[in-house]
Amino acid sequence: MSQNGHKVIGTRPIRHDGVDKVTGRAIYGADIQLTGLLHGTVKRSPHPHARIKNIDTSRAEAHPGVRAVVTAHDLPQIADKLADLGEAIVNLRDASNNVLAYGKVLYKGHAVAGVAAINLHVAQEAVELIDVEYEVLPHVTGVLEAMEDGAPILHEDMKTTSMGEETDKVSNIANHFQHKMGEPDDGFAEADVVIEREFTTQTVHQGYIETHNATALWNEEGQLTIWTSTQGAFSVRDQMAEILQMPVSKVKIVPLEIGGGFGGKISVYLDPVAALLSKKTGHPVKMTMTRDEVFEGTGPTPGSYLKVKMGATSDGRLTAATAYMAYEAGAYPGSPVGAGAGCIFTPYDIPNVQIDGYDVCVNKPKTNAYRAPGATNAAYATETVVDEISEKLGVDPLEFRVKNGAKEGTRRADGPVHPRIGCIETTEAALNSEHYRSSLAKSANGKVRGRGVASGYWFNFNGGRSAISVSINPDGTINMLEGSTDIGGSRASIAMQLAETIGLEATDIKPYVVDTDSIGYTDVTGGSRTTFGTGYAAHATGQALIREMKERASKLWDVPADAIDFEDGVFSYRDDAEKRGSFKEMASQAGDAGGPVVAQVSTNPDGSGGGAFATHVVDVEVDRETGKVDILRYTAVQDAGTAIHPSYVEGQMQGGVVQGIGWGLNEEYIYNDDGSMTNASFLDYRMPTTLDLPMIETIIVEVPNESHPYGVRGVGEVPIVPPPAALANAIYDATGVRLRDLPMSPPRVQKALAENGG
Amino acid sequence: MRNFSYVNATSIEQVPSLLGRSWDDAVVMAGGTDLVGEMKDYAAVPKRVVNLKSIEGLDYIRQDDAGLRIGALTTLTDVLENSAVSQELPVLHQAVSVIASPQIRNMATLAGNILQRPRCWYYRSEDFPCLKKGGARCYAVGGVNTYHAIFGSGPSYIVHPSDAAPALMALGATVHVHGPRGGDEVLMDDFFTMPEMNIRRENILRPNEIVTEISIPKPEANSKGMFLKVRERESIDFALVSLAAQMTVVNGTCERASLVLGGVAPIPWRAVEAEDYLRGRRITEARAESAAEAAVEDAAPMPHNGYKVEIAKNLVKQAVQALAS
Ligand SMILES: Cc1cc2nc3c(=O)[nH]c(=O)nc-3n(C[C@H](O)[C@H](O)[C@H](O)COP(=O)(O)OP(=O)(O)OC[C@H]3O[C@@H](n4cnc5c(N)ncnc54)[C@H](O)[C@@H]3O)c2cc1C
Ligand code: SF4
Repeated sequence: MSQNGHKVIGTRPIRHDGVDKVTGRAIYGADIQLTGLLHGTVKRSPHPHARIKNIDTSRAEAHPGVRAVVTAHDLPQIADKLADLGEAIVNLRDASNNVLAYGKVLYKGHAVAGVAAINLHVAQEAVELIDVEYEVLPHVTGVLEAMEDGAPILHEDMKTTSMGEETDKVSNIANHFQHKMGEPDDGFAEADVVIEREFTTQTVHQGYIETHNATALWNEEGQLTIWTSTQGAFSVRDQMAEILQMPVSKVKIVPLEIGGGFGGKISVYLDPVAALLSKKTGHPVKMTMTRDEVFEGTGPTPGSYLKVKMGATSDGRLTAATAYMAYEAGAYPGSPVGAGAGCIFTPYDIPNVQIDGYDVCVNKPKTNAYRAPGATNAAYATETVVDEISEKLGVDPLEFRVKNGAKEGTRRADGPVHPRIGCIETTEAALNSEHYRSSLAKSANGKVRGRGVASGYWFNFNGGRSAISVSINPDGTINMLEGSTDIGGSRASIAMQLAETIGLEATDIKPYVVDTDSIGYTDVTGGSRTTFGTGYAAHATGQALIREMKERASKLWDVPADAIDFEDGVFSYRDDAEKRGSFKEMASQAGDAGGPVVAQVSTNPDGSGGGAFATHVVDVEVDRETGKVDILRYTAVQDAGTAIHPSYVEGQMQGGVVQGIGWGLNEEYIYNDDGSMTNASFLDYRMPTTLDLPMIETIIVEVPNESHPYGVRGVGEVPIVPPPAALANAIYDATGVRLRDLPMSPPRVQKALAENGG
Repeated sequence: MRNFSYVNATSIEQVPSLLGRSWDDAVVMAGGTDLVGEMKDYAAVPKRVVNLKSIEGLDYIRQDDAGLRIGALTTLTDVLENSAVSQELPVLHQAVSVIASPQIRNMATLAGNILQRPRCWYYRSEDFPCLKKGGARCYAVGGVNTYHAIFGSGPSYIVHPSDAAPALMALGATVHVHGPRGGDEVLMDDFFTMPEMNIRRENILRPNEIVTEISIPKPEANSKGMFLKVRERESIDFALVSLAAQMTVVNGTCERASLVLGGVAPIPWRAVEAEDYLRGRRITEARAESAAEAAVEDAAPMPHNGYKVEIAKNLVKQAVQALAS
């Protein structure tokens, strides 16, 4: 038995989908084969900004192997309309134009046409036969340049919204908002130490291994089926229905196994194109992106510019903070600057705060969610400034964080007041960790070593719709259908919550992720919501099954249902010790008393409940000659609420840390002056390999989430938030030089050290 | 990738006739780890691909009194695991051990490694018709040249990507070439060519010639070697700068030094000034430093790659000191 009296929760069973995945049996998008299958590919813009004067598809259409060509003219023109896709609000007209450019191309890699052919090679050849006439326009890729007067304008009809009101000004700034609490000027006046710094971060990609894919079949009845790799099948259904202007009832999405998403597999890219090509040809059409298409044609997370100012008294109390945050939205409005603004100072209790956020269009791919979208950029700035303040005050940076830590009742600058959260508990666990208490040995090889810490916050979406449908087998096992796609072990974590509720083993539940026609609406697997939200539904399903079993027992035993108890996995009749049975025993007879036992439950919790906090400790070794930063030891501490399957919580923490390390030390889109990306391959866009990393140590803190029956908090996103700042602080500790521009790659570190005598 | 025809060669003698007058007609494939990527990126667009792996007897490592002979199709893994290589040619062993990843080394051949094409990101992108692909300009000039050459004066600024080539050159290896008129032998030092000689290629090989063997003379007694490589990532990453060093040191005095830098020039770059400086001198820290200075004397870094000069210098100093001790 695990802690808190749980039998299943807190244990580490083998995941239900594990064997098929490690033996290569699991079905991914690339595995789909259908009779009469055609292969599609996309023609993309070579220019970062240009007007499309004409698209001539005749040469491609004349190619004997080509079956159809589509352009934006094959898409219905749709009005400006916002839709909530779970992790981001999307304007559907923009979404449609992003799928196939209409009028203008806004980034290099922007899709302009799709081709279906008898095989992929013919399709690729045919793409070269599509003649697009462009009027090349000046482009802008940097966020600050894009905000300047006179910058090339992406959307001639887009007026800046400022503080909630649309202005008359046409600019690349889609939106400027402000959160204000208290009087920052007064707060800074009280402070003894005030630090103000500027930071930049570059565009980075989620880097999922499986590239985007979609296979579409538009049959003779007008029924569209899409097999695809997505974080949210229903979200794809909604987008398809809107972009193609068809009823949701005509669209069925079959989600396949997903080889990574991290927020990047929510928006549709290929799916509508494959659908149009299938409609034109009457054949199923399969499309798969190459890696450079993924880099240049999907949604990375934004580059940004931040200016953060914080003040504290000499006795170590934060008095005021301000932030200026400008985030690149990419080609269409909708950067995660709003989310970043909600996170930037949240680990702290600061009385006077002002945050100004700017959502800025630039000629780069439309950005998309990436693990705690917006929060990592924000924490890089805040956590570096906090490190400087602690140093100035001569206090331990973690003690400073504990002293100023957010707790129940602390108000966030953007409004909400924290319920019970584990911010301080997490920081204290880091402070007391063996790692933080150990001393850092000097390097023997002429390199220099240092230690850094940083904290981070992510909201967690404590809500959303989830549906579960179960049927009980006579042997007492349960087939469990769910709508949540499984990108991080959620089949297991959800099945375990059902098993716990009704007193079964995790292996007694057989979880299946099913298509949109087979289960109730379920929101995306994103926002760290799935183990929380669909787990919430699993708990409710367990409760429904217990009620139903009591009804069946009442018939079988001929006693009143309300006199039957369920405790420790056993149903029993209060007045007769003979009348008792476990869930499994009851299952074998229950069918005789009213047919097979089934249950369907859907839930939509209210969204309250606290977010996730993390504090990380890292030791680095810096080679001054090459600028290379090696990570010697890394410990991630995080409040998981309740760890349902601790191995998968640890896995999420480790995965997030690794992505944060890549973002901090190496990853970036490197742009040419002509607005193209030079390094659109995994060779030149350097994500860390196992050899670049030590084992990432984890410490799970459990401060239960009061809005979940088992206390679950989301765990998937916050671990990416602290790493870049923790690394910057460690590099400073080692070299005496502060790095405020990401990534801190060898050429940049070497240059910074040379310039600053570090 | 464009359509192409595919031929399995069955003998060395047959190959020249299967190849053509131009690289657009036909190319040979060994492990394919470089060629297939090039074809996918449209950097190579051959009408015919001639597979060499179907020729028997080209994967061998033979040792005799003169040294080691390695067949062109020997995989990097076989080179890495060969005990004669690891015991007598540590510079080659170490170089091969840091190439790519185990999976790629299992497929890649030694000849393919020294014949692999540049990794310049403009060259590898379909969107940039640069000089090397027959176009009108070099995009690295005025572009992002962080990973380009610090030696040579154009007109192409690629760096030679091979790790094995500097090691083989430091060892004084010879390349065995087979063409329409039969076999020929070329010293590694004379094999690679600078862009001003032929902008489209990196060596003297003609379209209808192939490499059949690489032979390495037995290092002289008292000679030691090592390979150093600096890269941003610990695996699957090309060198920012590498150094293959083989030195004969007797009683603390350098009799001969062979120092070849990788990642800095369009060909494996022999640091002749440093070699000359070291010959006949007792090695001290100051002299190691002078040798390092001499090695980069002619460096002409581009706007984004000045850091390579420092790294090159540090590697030379480090290796000279290590091999003298
Ligand atoms: C991800 C990745 C990382 C890498 N990292 C490194 C690295 O760190 N260091 C490094 O040195 N290399 C690296 N490489 C390159 C790799 O080592 C080469 O691709 C490999 O050695 C080529 O050998 P191959 O047998 O596969 O050659 P192929 O791909 O078959 O051929 C390569 C070229 O040589 C020609 N060729 C091959 N054999 C002959 C022959 N006998 N005669 C004439 N021409 C011939 C082909 O026509 C072709 O142009 C990397 C490659 C990849 C894909
Ligand atoms: S360095 Fe050479 S390969 Fe690269 S762009 Fe210039 S000419 Fe082309």
